[in-house]
Amino acid sequence: MSYFSLEYIAMITGFLLIVLGIWAILTYKNLLKIVIGFSLFDTGINIIIVSIAYVKNSTAPIIDSAVSLKDAVNKIADPVPQALVLTSIVIGLGVTALMLAYVLKLYQDKKTLDIESFTDLKW
Amino acid sequence: MISPIHIISISLGVAFAIGFLGKNSNKLSAVIMLLTIGILTFISAQWAQAFYFGNQETVQIFTAGYKPPFSINLQIGVSESIIILLINSIGLLGGIYLFDTLVKTGKNAVVVYLIFIMSLNQVVLTQDIFNLFVFLEIQSIATAGLIVLERNRNSISSGFKYMIATGIISSLLLIGIVFGYYFTGSLNIADFIQANMMLSKGGAVALFLILASLLLELKPFPANGWALDVYESIKPGTSAMLSAASASAVLFALYKVLPAGNPQTFEIVLGFGLITFVGSNLLGIKQTNPQRLLGYSSVGQIGLIVAILGMKPFLGEKFTFIAIAIFISHFLAKAGLFWLSGIIKADNIRDWANLRKKPFLLVLFGTFVFTLIGFPPFPSFFGKWELIMQLSQSGYWYLVGVILLGSFFEGIYLFKWLGYAIKLDNVNLPEFNINWKKIIPVAIVGVLTYLAGYYSSFFTTGTEHFEKFFVPLFFIAILYFLDFLPNFVKNIIAIAGMSYYGYILLPGLYETDLLRFIFGAIFIVGGVLTLIAGFTYKGQRKGFHPAALMMFAGLGGIIQASNMIEFFFSWEMMTLGSYILIIRGKKSMPHGLSYMLFSLAGAYLILAAFGFTFSQNGISLEALKGLAFAPNLIYGLLAVGFMTKTASLGLHIWLPGAHAEAESDVSPMVSAILLKAGVFGLIILFLSMGAEAAGQNSILYLLGWLGAITALVGNTAASFQEDAKKLLAYSSIGQLGYILFAFSIMTHLGWLAGFTYSINHFLFKAVLFLAIGAVVLRLKTHNMYEMGGLIKRMPFAFIAVLIGIITLSGVPPLSGFAGKWLFYNAVIEKGWYFQGTIVFFAGTIAFLYSFRLIHSIFLGQLKDNHRTVKDISIWFIIPIYTLIIGIMIFSARPDLILKPIGNFLMPYFPTDALSWTDTMAKTRLGYWDGTWVMIIIGIMFSLIFAWLFILSRKATKVEQFNIAYSGERPERPETTHMAHNIYAGFNKAVGFIVTPNISKFWASASENLDGAAGYFRRIYNGNGQTYALHIIIYTLAMYLMIF
Repeated sequence: MSYFSLEYIAMITGFLLIVLGIWAILTYKNLLKIVIGFSLFDTGINIIIVSIAYVKNSTAPIIDSAVSLKDAVNKIADPVPQALVLTSIVIGLGVTALMLAYVLKLYQDKKTLDIESFTDLKW
Repeated sequence: MISPIHIISISLGVAFAIGFLGKNSNKLSAVIMLLTIGILTFISAQWAQAFYFGNQETVQIFTAGYKPPFSINLQIGVSESIIILLINSIGLLGGIYLFDTLVKTGKNAVVVYLIFIMSLNQVVLTQDIFNLFVFLEIQSIATAGLIVLERNRNSISSGFKYMIATGIISSLLLIGIVFGYYFTGSLNIADFIQANMMLSKGGAVALFLILASLLLELKPFPANGWALDVYESIKPGTSAMLSAASASAVLFALYKVLPAGNPQTFEIVLGFGLITFVGSNLLGIKQTNPQRLLGYSSVGQIGLIVAILGMKPFLGEKFTFIAIAIFISHFLAKAGLFWLSGIIKADNIRDWANLRKKPFLLVLFGTFVFTLIGFPPFPSFFGKWELIMQLSQSGYWYLVGVILLGSFFEGIYLFKWLGYAIKLDNVNLPEFNINWKKIIPVAIVGVLTYLAGYYSSFFTTGTEHFEKFFVPLFFIAILYFLDFLPNFVKNIIAIAGMSYYGYILLPGLYETDLLRFIFGAIFIVGGVLTLIAGFTYKGQRKGFHPAALMMFAGLGGIIQASNMIEFFFSWEMMTLGSYILIIRGKKSMPHGLSYMLFSLAGAYLILAAFGFTFSQNGISLEALKGLAFAPNLIYGLLAVGFMTKTASLGLHIWLPGAHAEAESDVSPMVSAILLKAGVFGLIILFLSMGAEAAGQNSILYLLGWLGAITALVGNTAASFQEDAKKLLAYSSIGQLGYILFAFSIMTHLGWLAGFTYSINHFLFKAVLFLAIGAVVLRLKTHNMYEMGGLIKRMPFAFIAVLIGIITLSGVPPLSGFAGKWLFYNAVIEKGWYFQGTIVFFAGTIAFLYSFRLIHSIFLGQLKDNHRTVKDISIWFIIPIYTLIIGIMIFSARPDLILKPIGNFLMPYFPTDALSWTDTMAKTRLGYWDGTWVMIIIGIMFSLIFAWLFILSRKATKVEQFNIAYSGERPERPETTHMAHNIYAGFNKAVGFIVTPNISKFWASASENLDGAAGYFRRIYNGNGQTYALHIIIYTLAMYLMIF
């Protein structure tokens, strides 16, 4: 695996996005920006998943005239992570939507998006 | 049988179908949802039954027609079937509980609830790690939906915090899963376990992320602030589901994946589980909001179960039982408690006094609290016992200490709470509604705790003969259900039951085991006599009889126990019963708590000692003999444990309040009788240490000193009391000091003295407490300076007290003298002169307080408001005078009892025995004849009495107000009454020895604990971002510790 191969770059990018996402979640006080942080986090993971599936010079995991059943193992990209990433994207969407719904309710309550205003419960 | 895959298909089908129902079909959809969960429960019950009663083997279900890793497979085995049965049945009950809320919120909420239950099932069943992730996410999203069943500012903000936390956790899980797949080429958990992921660094990190995120889902301390906010702010019905149902599924997921690690992984999980258990329970001490407090307790209990999962490698074949017993206790009790908090609707645990308006709810509350702490007969008792035994056997003694410490912290806040509910004033609290949909689930889990406890006993080592301990409990249960009957009917039943118990138990013991016979007689005969006094009370006297009988059943059980679990089971029953008895007193709340906490700590020391013994010699009580390893540690733990019950100095601060504030007939029960349980324990301990052979043991030397100082301090404090019952209570501390001292001497004479003291203390303390208690019942005050001149109004009480104090002070002719005579012989033979002098000095101080009982109560001026007071109740006179007959017999013919005891002691203490000729006892130092002493003093007494009687006919009777008040002001007696602060000068001289340094010490210990809890809980600052940071730091810290 060369340092400049595609899956390597993709994986690095994925990790950078994850770190960026966590950074956003931990430092931005604005609820919406925190939700965006989560989106970055999810995207980073999704890119990593795809990068794991990548096999150099391979084709899509569809068995047809181009790829026979026999040499499929050598020629196609790993189909499992590709299936996983779809599920992961859907879940990410659901979570983001729900979080935004919560943000809306919080905003309606106190007319602010600052996370530090929602600390009535503690200790 | 229905394939478990239909759990998913049916739920999903119904969930979608509900969407097609019309707009006004909320109720219909909720009913359909309940029916569906009913079907799920049925499916899981069917499987559980097949596994348990049939020969069903574990089944794999392959989806999509392919085998893993090409498809997702489900697995159902014994454990899976039990866990989903639990989840579905609690889901059903929880659905009934939340029915009205769900209907009000709408059918979408109904669907979310159904999906929530379904996702938990799949988390348990699936064998595919990615599938696990998906259903954990569905569970999180469903939870986020259920959180807003309660719609207010706090629940919405805590819901958002929940989303932040679970968002981060599930992302970590996903990264772990993806890299797990990268290194193993499979998503199947079985393949993960096969692949030995710990061998490569990458695989290890992947597995670490998976395990860490599952752990984080279980809200480990301190990365759990988000969960606490959720528990506090949402509908209690939802909290119950999170704490019971969600936790079971995630715990099971952790259990499934854990074998992929290596032994070190187990240790790490164990460590983090225990940190959670101790830490969370410590912080719980400071909580006042019931739901938040339950959140802390929940987190703690789940931490313990996580730790148990981590202990799997060394718990051996008992692992499953231990894990399930402790888990199911948490599961049932926590669901029940959260549900109760939804019924009572109070923001502060002090307001739970309201619960008392519906007594059966209070009983359920108590049931759950005792279940959580691990009292018998609940499953956690057996689970915890087996856990301690197995841990000790594997050599992890320090873990025993950590677990018991965490349990103790939990006991502090739970018993404080229970005390509030039992005792605080509830007059001004609002009425609450009883909704049967909410009561029934609580009642069902309440009943289940008892059944589960009974069932657990079958799986525990050493419980082959437990029927004899359960039969009395069934009797008590029946008595509880008869609680609506009037007091005298229940009292007759109770006395009949106790008498029958004594009748089958005692005669046989006299032949086989005199030691147990004597204590058995004290417990049971004493019990019957003190119960007779209970006839005085009118009305129903709710809750008294079950508690009293539970204490006596425990005491009887200690006598019957042949192995350590039987002993400990009975010991805890006794504690439970006596706690309820003690806290019944009007002002007993703080004393009940301190009694319980000392007892709990003592019981844990005993439990630890039993564990360490078990690891060497097995479970029989005989195993305490001849310990090869750390005998002094074990004996020391046992000694301190038993001394919490005998209230030796340092461990005595619970006693005065507990005994003084108890009801009039309860005081003698807990004083004359209950304290002897500690003595009995000490005797068992000393015999195990090797009787005479252990005479030089340094522990005994220390205990001797402790006994002597206890006697001195107890007696001195007694003489400064203004409260008659407190005086008697302090006197008990002193007397128990004598007993401890006498047994510590470890010679034949010392033990004879010890037995004589024990029997005497039983007799005279019962007489005194019954008599004074009866007087207090008539006068409605404990203060001696508000009494006086009662000799004419209450002659029966006067004579009883007089005989009581003669016995107590050890002057001839009554049996107290026998004790003293033996005692000084023993001290001189042993050569413990210093200690002996202290005890002698303490004995003279006993005269001071004995005198006060007669002088301040019965002599002097009669108070105006007592002019028409009647003598004490006949129901007190009967037991008092029966006991006095006992004193007379023991005084006149001590040989009847002391001779057999001497014979009994011979094998243990062969040297320097007492030699008897007829009724005359002889030692190397001298002789004494109880019968002749009695006769001579009897004659002298009669002569002097007759002479005085003749003289007194010439005397003129002076009425009370004939001349003056004799310097007294009957309306404000404490200002001028000479009996008030009678020993002021003496106090000035030696009062320093009773400055309450020990009380101050315990007070500051509890303050510091409180302070620490208050300080550390500030890490939960309420900010969702901080909680996210906690999670990240927790993960990093774990990572750094492992790699």
